[in-house]
Amino acid sequence: MTDNATSAYWRKYLKIDEPVDEGYLRQFHSRLEILRPIEFFLINILSKYYFRAEVYGVKNIPEPPYIIAPNHCSAMDQPLVAWAIGAKRRKDLYTLATKFFFDNAFVRLVMKSGANIVRIDTVSDYIPAMQSACKILKLGRSVYINPEGTRSEDGDLLPFRTGVGVVAVENGVPIIPVYIDGTHKALPPGAPFPKPYKVKVYFDKPIKINEYIEKKKIKAAYDVYKEVTDELYRRIIALKNMRKN
Amino acid sequence: MENLGKDIKELVAKVIKKKTDELDPGADIFKDYGVDSLLGVEILANIDKKYGLDVPETSVREIRTINDIIRLTSRLLADRGKQ
Repeated sequence: MTDNATSAYWRKYLKIDEPVDEGYLRQFHSRLEILRPIEFFLINILSKYYFRAEVYGVKNIPEPPYIIAPNHCSAMDQPLVAWAIGAKRRKDLYTLATKFFFDNAFVRLVMKSGANIVRIDTVSDYIPAMQSACKILKLGRSVYINPEGTRSEDGDLLPFRTGVGVVAVENGVPIIPVYIDGTHKALPPGAPFPKPYKVKVYFDKPIKINEYIEKKKIKAAYDVYKEVTDELYRRIIALKNMRKN
Repeated sequence: MENLGKDIKELVAKVIKKKTDELDPGADIFKDYGVDSLLGVEILANIDKKYGLDVPETSVREIRTINDIIRLTSRLLADRGKQ
C-alpha cells in the first residue's frame, strides 16, 4: 500500500474531481450579512480597547485558497481571527462551524452575520463537511477549520483530526497554523460575558503541501494526511510555546 | 469466504498497524482498536483498490467490525459477479 490508490478513493469519496458551480457558495451566505460592517466595527472596538488584542504574522497569509487552522477554546475565536485577517480576506473565508454555534440565538446571529458559515456535524457525519471544504477550495475561496473538531473545555489543545490533512493534501492548498491566546480566559465555555483579558492571535508561515503530495508517491496516503496533521499540531504547539508575554 | 475473511483481516491489520492475531473479527474496530472514522474510510479505500470494487461512500456507516467489512466486501463482489 505504498502507492496513492487510496488517494484516488478519497478524491472519489470527497467528490473532488466533480465540477463545482459558483452558485454552490450561495447556501453559505445569509441576509444577515448586511449587518457585517456594523458587527466588525463593534468587534474592532472590542478587540482593540476591551481585549487589547495583538495580531502577529498576518503577512504570512498567502493568496487564497488556503486553510486557516486555529486552536479552539472559546466562542470568541472565530470572530477574533476573522477580525485579525481584515475585511478583504474575510469576504472569501468560509467557516466550518459545528452545531454548538447554532444553539444560542445570540451566537447564531453573530456567526451568521459575521461569517460565511458552513454548518457541520463533527460527531456523526464528517464527510459532508469535508466535501463542502473541498468544493469551496476548488472555487478559489478559503476555509476556516478547527482541527480539534470541537472546543477545548480547559484551553489545552485536543488531539487533531486527520480530516484537515486529507482536505489540504487532496486539494493541494496550504494550511496556516494559528494560535489564539487568551480567549479561554476572556470567554471560557459557559461564561455569559467576556472579561477584559488580553488576547493575541499568531499566524504562522503556511505549511507547504507540495512536499506532502510528493510523499504520496512513496507512502500510503493516510500516513501522509496524518503527517500533515501532526505537523500542524507541532506548529501550533510551537506558536504557543514562543508566544510573546 | 474463508480466504476472503483472512485477506480482509490482514488488510485491516495492515491499515490500522496491528498484528492479525491481535484482531477479533467481532470486535468494534472503532471502540476496541482506536480506529477513527477517517481510518475507517482508509480501510474501504484499500478494499476498493485490492478488489477493484466501487465501494460506495456511505459504506463507512455500515461497518463496525471486521465481520461487517467481510460481509460488505462479499456482497459487493457478488453484486459485481451478477453484472
